[in-house]
Amino acid sequence: MKIECSIEKIREAISSADRITGKNLTLPILGAILFIAEGKTIKIRATNLSLGIEIEVPAKIEQEGTVAVKSDVISTVFGSIQNGTVSFQLEGDMLRITTKQNTISVKTLPYDDFPTIPVVSGDSFSIPGKKLIEGIRAVAYSAAVSDIKPEISSVYIYPDQNNLVFVATDSFRLAEKKIALKKVPEFGGILIPFKNVAEIMRIIGEYTDDVAICFSKNQLSILYESVYITSRLIDGIFPDYKQIIPKEFTTNVTVLKSDIVQALKLSHIFSDKFNHITLSVDPVKKYCAVYSKNVDVGENNTILDTAISGLPVEVSLNHRYMIDCFQSIHADSLTLSFTLPNKPVVLQGVSDQTFMYLIMPMNR
Amino acid sequence: MIETKELWGRCLKEIEQNVTKANFSTWFKNTAIIKEDEGSIYIGVPNEFVKEWLQNKFHKLIVKTLVEQVPSIRSVEYSITKLSDKKEIQESRPLITEHKTELPLRDLYINKDDNLNPKYTFDNFIVGPFNQLPYAASQAIIERPASIYNPFFVYGNTGLGKTHLIQSVGNALKKNFPDKKVFYVTLEKFAIDYTDSLAMKNTNTSFKEKYRKYDVLIIDDIQFIDKMEKTQDELFHLFNVFYENNKQIIFSSDKHPNHIKGLEERLKSRFAQGMIVDVTEPDYESRVAILKGKAAQQITKVSQEVVMYLAGLIQGNIRELEGALNIIVCQTEIKGRQLTEEEVRLLVKNSIKPKKSVSIEEVTRKIAEHFHLDESSIYEKTRRKEIVEARQMIMYILREDFNISYPLIGQKLGGKDHTTVMHSCDKIKRELKDNMVLNQDVEKIRTMFK
Repeated sequence: MKIECSIEKIREAISSADRITGKNLTLPILGAILFIAEGKTIKIRATNLSLGIEIEVPAKIEQEGTVAVKSDVISTVFGSIQNGTVSFQLEGDMLRITTKQNTISVKTLPYDDFPTIPVVSGDSFSIPGKKLIEGIRAVAYSAAVSDIKPEISSVYIYPDQNNLVFVATDSFRLAEKKIALKKVPEFGGILIPFKNVAEIMRIIGEYTDDVAICFSKNQLSILYESVYITSRLIDGIFPDYKQIIPKEFTTNVTVLKSDIVQALKLSHIFSDKFNHITLSVDPVKKYCAVYSKNVDVGENNTILDTAISGLPVEVSLNHRYMIDCFQSIHADSLTLSFTLPNKPVVLQGVSDQTFMYLIMPMNR
Repeated sequence: MIETKELWGRCLKEIEQNVTKANFSTWFKNTAIIKEDEGSIYIGVPNEFVKEWLQNKFHKLIVKTLVEQVPSIRSVEYSITKLSDKKEIQESRPLITEHKTELPLRDLYINKDDNLNPKYTFDNFIVGPFNQLPYAASQAIIERPASIYNPFFVYGNTGLGKTHLIQSVGNALKKNFPDKKVFYVTLEKFAIDYTDSLAMKNTNTSFKEKYRKYDVLIIDDIQFIDKMEKTQDELFHLFNVFYENNKQIIFSSDKHPNHIKGLEERLKSRFAQGMIVDVTEPDYESRVAILKGKAAQQITKVSQEVVMYLAGLIQGNIRELEGALNIIVCQTEIKGRQLTEEEVRLLVKNSIKPKKSVSIEEVTRKIAEHFHLDESSIYEKTRRKEIVEARQMIMYILREDFNISYPLIGQKLGGKDHTTVMHSCDKIKRELKDNMVLNQDVEKIRTMFK
């Protein structure tokens, strides 16, 4: 193999691939990146058997060939060299990397065992990359971290009228984001593992043009420009979350986002190890306050400037869950809606109906 | 028909020798033959990556190995299934998977307003001679609370359904009188509430308010009150408030109030002014009825023979009955067939207390022997010290280890009054606390009956 290409272009591809290489697996080759020089491009491939990626980078190929190199080595190398052009040449089992300043030799691995990346055939649709990421980012933090229940340690995506709906829950809180699309495909809903979702977000990043999504029962692929990502899907049923969203509310509180963020930051200092805060609302006295207490630190009570309607209510919440959702509420003020003290609290931006966040109260 | 599991096991052994260990554990773990259909073999794999790789890299090897085992095989297909071991469990327990799809966000089982567990109702309460009296009394209370039996005091050994009874009363009252506020609390929770209210410093008014607003108060496991003097005071006042305002109070305990040590006299007398009933151990027929009731709630059917066998084997504690039934149901589900009598016997062997059936006469004879006395002298009307001691020991053992009623012991040991027997048992119990020699004696005697 003998090729030449631009360092800037290949560097980005390598760092994307490096993130998803399989670490600590029984098969050491999964910790490697595969380079395939063919035709007019070099393909960079990596997989951890749950997620796979293949990125094509234009290159001048003098001699075609394939080589596998340890991912941590090659990515550090490309993180440390200056921009310019680079040439690769395979000499025996060593890969020689030459730039204007550096001459580097890296040991290669036998690539026979490097897995192929599945090609997915099935339903497909396309969506602007930015919108896909917006939807995922708005909910992904709510997914369950442990994979004891795979169906909730994932992001659920399904079509609903003119929207593509993204949902994630860890059974203590739930986030739902609706993204309006001109053309909404029809499909039954898919579950993408939440670990893979985080990587997909990083890889797609700020890409604005359409990405093509294709999926079968067990596998999903995302294709745009020169990047091909494929992820395992979870074969399961997402809980019927609509059931737990209260239909009617007894109390509504509207508050400035900056005010409540400030109040929560303060109460964080005094909350106990369960992150416990108490929200009390009294419409008669026009009073809404956040209270927290930690026997080792002290206590605090912050009164919020609010508009209240309905009945008085007092709810205990985990403030961490509450703080999480503000990144997804793109409005100046938001509404907190309550029913009973032991029923979920619903948060929504005042001018933004596309995002809904639900928190289960804590047991007292 | 080929035994596919065995076949795949043999193939895997073969394949293991031909590939590296890393490759084998990455690609062949969690695979299985899921179907065999006219010469086509379908191999289940965990995901798309494995499917691709097996198809592209190991297909020839797999086909070759399979054909060596079964020459008639023509093709091999791959398909993605859930992990095989998980699948087996899911198949054998369909009801559990149904639960999986249920909402994880719902966590109510115990009603927070009244602490009652809705699963305890009279619908699943089995009435037999052993609990007829408490049942009848509770029915009267449900009809007209706070009028006849107030307070209502139920006592009996652990696992005989006291909690079930009193919670059912609470649930039934709630249904009959929706405007009455019922509250169920264990004594432990009650005491914690009380101490908490002291710590809050607002002179425990909130505690008083909290409990006084209820119309029916149910306190479980009252026997633990023995050392809590202040809690007793508080309970005493609370009791008076309830009683004067004609509100129903229900207690449960594992002892008769007179036997709760450290219970103040004024509380004892107040408990006694209502109705004190005991739940005794269920007789054979009741045990059969209870087991049948429990078995009917299970998905897996348990045969009549097993029910009869368990009822005969396990005496006394209903919780133990339930435990033994659960073991059998679980094993039946795992094995996927009805268990044989031998298997049932082995399973429940450990869950029951070994109890030899020993007659009262035999106990008397052995203990008399232990004290080097003639058996007949025990039955004599004499107050010679050594004989009295032996007789008391017999009474104690019969009562404690064999659960024989006081009157029966008295009758068998020469027509003694049951209070005499109670006194004797108490005396031995008291002496056991600081008399080492007596302790050793009891130990020795107990080993004779094991």
